[in-house]
Amino acid sequence: MSSPQPNHSLHGTPEKNRLRVGFMALTDCAPVVMAHTLQLAQRHGLQLDLVRQSSWAAIRDKLISGELDAAHTLYGLAYSMELGIAGPQCDMAVLMTLNQNGQAITVSNRLRDLLRSGHTLRQIADAADKPLVFAQTFPTGTHAMWLYDWLAREGIDPMREIRSVVIAPQEMTGALASGLLDGFCAGEPWPAKAESEQVGHTLLATSQLWPDHPEKVLACRRDFAALYPNTARALIATLLDACQWLDVPANRREAAAVLARPEYVHCPADLITPRLLGDYGNALAQPPGVRFFADGAVNPPRTADGAWFVQQFLRWGLLADQHVDPAAVAARVNQVDLYAQVARIRGNPLP
Amino acid sequence: MLRILLVTDTAKPIGELRETLLQQGYDVLTDAASSTALLSSVERQRPDVVIIDTESPSRDTLEQLSVMNSLAPRPVVMFTPDADQQHIRAAVGAGVTTYVVDGLDADKLSPIIEVAMVRFAEDDKLRQRLAKVEQQLADRKLIDRAKGLLMDKRGLSEAAAFEMLRTQAMKQGITLAEMARQVIAMADLLG
Repeated sequence: MSSPQPNHSLHGTPEKNRLRVGFMALTDCAPVVMAHTLQLAQRHGLQLDLVRQSSWAAIRDKLISGELDAAHTLYGLAYSMELGIAGPQCDMAVLMTLNQNGQAITVSNRLRDLLRSGHTLRQIADAADKPLVFAQTFPTGTHAMWLYDWLAREGIDPMREIRSVVIAPQEMTGALASGLLDGFCAGEPWPAKAESEQVGHTLLATSQLWPDHPEKVLACRRDFAALYPNTARALIATLLDACQWLDVPANRREAAAVLARPEYVHCPADLITPRLLGDYGNALAQPPGVRFFADGAVNPPRTADGAWFVQQFLRWGLLADQHVDPAAVAARVNQVDLYAQVARIRGNPLP
Repeated sequence: MLRILLVTDTAKPIGELRETLLQQGYDVLTDAASSTALLSSVERQRPDVVIIDTESPSRDTLEQLSVMNSLAPRPVVMFTPDADQQHIRAAVGAGVTTYVVDGLDADKLSPIIEVAMVRFAEDDKLRQRLAKVEQQLADRKLIDRAKGLLMDKRGLSEAAAFEMLRTQAMKQGITLAEMARQVIAMADLLG
C-alpha cells in the first residue's frame, strides 16, 4: 500500500473525485480519520474532505440533502433511513462494514454495587420505586439494539419496564454522576471516560453479547452508489487500506494520538489507547476488542447483518409493518457486488 | 398559546429568538443548554415546538423522544407532506431545525419556522423577509384581539366575529389587520 503509483484504474476512473465524508467523534471513526491523515485516498483517485458531525440526526439529514456524500454511520441508522422509521425514507447503500465490537454498557456506581451484592437486574428493577433509566445514542442505532438485547436477556422488557433516553455521548459521564442515569450504552472512548472518572463501571463490552458484531458502516445514498460506481469502489478500496493499516498494534497507538486531537474525538489519548488495543484493564475479563480488518473478515457488507437490524426493529415495534422481509431489505441496501469487485482485486475473502 | 423551547447548547445565538417570540405572544420556556436539560424540559414542560441548531449534539435526544412518545416533538422539516429535498436543503442551509408535536396546525407553525429560519439565514434576501413575517405575526395578534372584542361585546361566535371583520374590511377597502386596529381603537374609545 505504499506504492507511489496511482492504481485507480483498477476500479475505473472515479466519476466524482472530491468527496465530503461525515463522521462522529468516536474511537471507531479511526478508518475514516486515518484514511484522510495517511492520504490513502489519492492512490485511488479520490480526495476526501472530512466533516465531523454533532449528531446522527445531522448525518442522516446531510446524506439526504447531499451535503455529505458518505459517512461513518451506525448500521441501524442506514436501515432506519431505508425503511423511513422516524424520518423521511431514503434509499440507502451500505458499502462496507468499518468495524466490529468496541462498544460497551456502563452502569452507575449504585447499580454496580447492587449487582455486586448478588441481586439480578430483574430484582433491582422490581425493587426500584421508579423505572430504571438507560441512555443510548440514537433510537434505531446499534447502541439502542445492544442495550435492548442485553435487557431482554436479563428478563426486562426495554419498551415497557425501563426508560430509554438519548443523551449526547460527551454528556453521559455527567448524567451518570448526577444520578439521572442508571446506565448507558455507547461507543468508546465514552465508556472508558466514565470508568476513568469513577462515575460508572463498564459492566460488559457489547462483544460479550455478540462476539465480532457488526457496528459502524460506510454508508451513502443508493442513487450515489448507482450514479458513481467507480467512486464507490475507490472509496471502499481507500477504507479497506485504512482498516488494514489499523490491524497493526503499533499503528493503533499512532491512530489513538491522531484521534485524540480536538478536530477528531477531542479526548485524551490515554482514554482512547487501551481499549483501542483491546485492553480493558481490571474492568472486564478481556472481551473481543474492536476489529477493523482481521484479514478482511470484518468488512463485507453481509446481508445477514443488515437483516438482523430489520429483525430488531420488528422485535421492538419500531417498524410497524410486519410484512417487511428483512432479507429482501438487506439485499437492496448492502452493496455486495460493489464490495466484492474491490475485495477480489485486493485478494480479500468474501462471505 | 404555543409553548416554545429554545435549545442553546451551541455558539449559534438561538436564545436571541426569545424576545421576538415573546413579543409575538408565544410562551417561551426556559432555554435548554444541554441534552439533559432538554430531556427534562420536554418531559416536564411539554413544549409544542423545539427550535435547535442543526449542528446541536442534543438533536438525537429529540429523535429518541419522537420515536418513543407520540406526544413529544417530532422534526417538522422531516414530517411535512412536502418534505422534498429542496425544503430540507433550505432548512439545513439556515442551520436551524424545528421539532413540533404531532398534529400541530401547519398554519400556526409556519410563522415560527419562518422567523427562526430567517433569523439565522446568512442570505440577505431571506433576512429581509423577517420584517414581513414579523408583520404577519403582529397582524394575526391584532385580528385575534378584535375578534375577541366582537365576540365579547356583540355576543358573536368566533366564526361570526371573523366574518363581520372580513365583510367590514372589504366594504372599506382596507386590510383585515387595519380593520382590526379600528375595532380595537373604537373599543378603547368606548370603554
